[in-house]
Amino acid sequence: MISTREKIFNYAFLTLLAVSVLFPIVYILGVAISPSTSGTLDLGHPQWSNFATAWHQAGFTQYLRSSVIITGTVVVVSTALAVMSGYAFGVLGVVGEKALFPLVLFGIMIPMESIIVPLYYDFLAFDLTDGYQGIILAHIGTGVSFGAFWMRAAFRAVPASISESAEIDGAGSWTRLWRIYLPISRPAILTFVVLSFMWTWNDYFLSLILVAAPEHQPLTLGLGAFSGRRLVEVNLLAAAAVLMSLPIVGLYLFFQRQFIRGMLSGALKG
Amino acid sequence: MATVKQLPAGGVSAQATPHANPPSNHRRKRRWLGLAYLAPALVVYGFVVLVPAIQGVWLSFFHWNGITAASWAGLANYTGFLQDPALRQAIEHTLFFIVFFSLLPITLGLASAALTARKDVKGAAVYRWIIFLPQVLTPAVTAVAWKRVYAPDGPINSVLRAFGLDSLAHGWLGDYDWALPAIGLAGTWAAFGLCMVLFVAGTQAIPAELYDAARVDGAGPIREFLTVTLPGLRGQLAIAVTLTVLGAIRVFDIVWLTTRGGPGTSTITPTIVMYQRAFANPDVGAASAIGVVLALVSLVIALVVVRLSENGNR
Repeated sequence: MISTREKIFNYAFLTLLAVSVLFPIVYILGVAISPSTSGTLDLGHPQWSNFATAWHQAGFTQYLRSSVIITGTVVVVSTALAVMSGYAFGVLGVVGEKALFPLVLFGIMIPMESIIVPLYYDFLAFDLTDGYQGIILAHIGTGVSFGAFWMRAAFRAVPASISESAEIDGAGSWTRLWRIYLPISRPAILTFVVLSFMWTWNDYFLSLILVAAPEHQPLTLGLGAFSGRRLVEVNLLAAAAVLMSLPIVGLYLFFQRQFIRGMLSGALKG
Repeated sequence: MATVKQLPAGGVSAQATPHANPPSNHRRKRRWLGLAYLAPALVVYGFVVLVPAIQGVWLSFFHWNGITAASWAGLANYTGFLQDPALRQAIEHTLFFIVFFSLLPITLGLASAALTARKDVKGAAVYRWIIFLPQVLTPAVTAVAWKRVYAPDGPINSVLRAFGLDSLAHGWLGDYDWALPAIGLAGTWAAFGLCMVLFVAGTQAIPAELYDAARVDGAGPIREFLTVTLPGLRGQLAIAVTLTVLGAIRVFDIVWLTTRGGPGTSTITPTIVMYQRAFANPDVGAASAIGVVLALVSLVIALVVVRLSENGNR
């Protein structure tokens, strides 16, 4: 039904789009391996040592450590909270659900930018801006709404009859969650994990405000500090940026479906 | 919701009905259990989101520099908006950004969905991967890339010089007139993929019979788009409008990391004004007031868009 002409046009069109999307990314890759410190593209003399030099000059080891600690903790705790609150709303029901569920959804609709000022002064009062606890807590808290919403939908899709027969066999709510709901809902949980990782790893705004000490700052702030230095060497800056994106791009390579499915559902972190 | 699920369970415990209504008793117990499961998330959510949201409203009625005692301001922080030139400018920039972050990506996304959907394309997954990529990339990294692209000796200017247009070549992000659209275009670049993938997925869910019927009726591609594709994408449009408009309203990272709102105040946004008010030379009340308005606007937009898309489905 589709003519060859139409097909060629389709490919040309998609290729044009893909090229324009890739252009800034590929360009920065090129700069990252160029020897020129002013950022001039010079692919004839690739200088792969840029990556190692950038790593050392930007002090990435410490920033990476912070990013891994923050992201790792947030993903684990957020996922646990999402599963439990989704199980509560979607399966068990909750006392005061009519008020509580909209209250939790409220967090999806208001942007975290609008609560950051009071949050900062609260954290200051509780001495939470020094270490990792504050930023971790902030990420977990702003992720609760979407987690509850997402896992509730996933658990509601599980046929109630399966759980009921287990209940008759004497399985408690905890056992049913582990034996029935978690295994069936693995794809939804994986999607949440992937989104939670992305939000935390990519975050700049929350960390900028809530993490004062440089030794606790994540990579995104490290890159900002690196690019803010005087006489910045552009090729090294580009190399550092490339290194920083590797984990998220790698994850996206393996979990494209989860990323896209989650974000197409309108996933928003408060 | 939970009640619907438990209806069949009522049959099981029906034998026990002589006693004081066991099914509802059972259900009540279960809902308390549900609250226990929800409790940890609720506590964190309360501490990080709800309490600050309320405090934000409260703080917005005070003059406070973050250190010394606060003094009551009434509505002064809100009425102050009207005389604040930086904020007025920031709001204008937001409207401008809505065009670049929302209107353009949605239009482009719709056009490309209409052009490419319902046709078998080999390697579609690869194209989708690439076009969606900006959505997952770290904003701190894309900011570095765009700064390079727009730099005085960057690729755009190299192309201009190659065509002998040296007079047009300059640092785009350092220019009072060009910095804003330059950032806007980076936003279009980032949001476009989401819109396109969303709409392409949406068109695949539209029943093929509708297209066949339109063809039989002799509809051309444009009428087919208006009568079949566009109505079928209502839900996806609602998501795209919500995500991209909210993205434009709350934009911070890409602006802060490329221009810090400059040169001068030519790319300043409400969140940047808020950040400066809150931390540079603290006027916490005014910063909180910006946060409150930001939250209200976001809430209204989210609710209106959801309502509109639901009405259309009926």
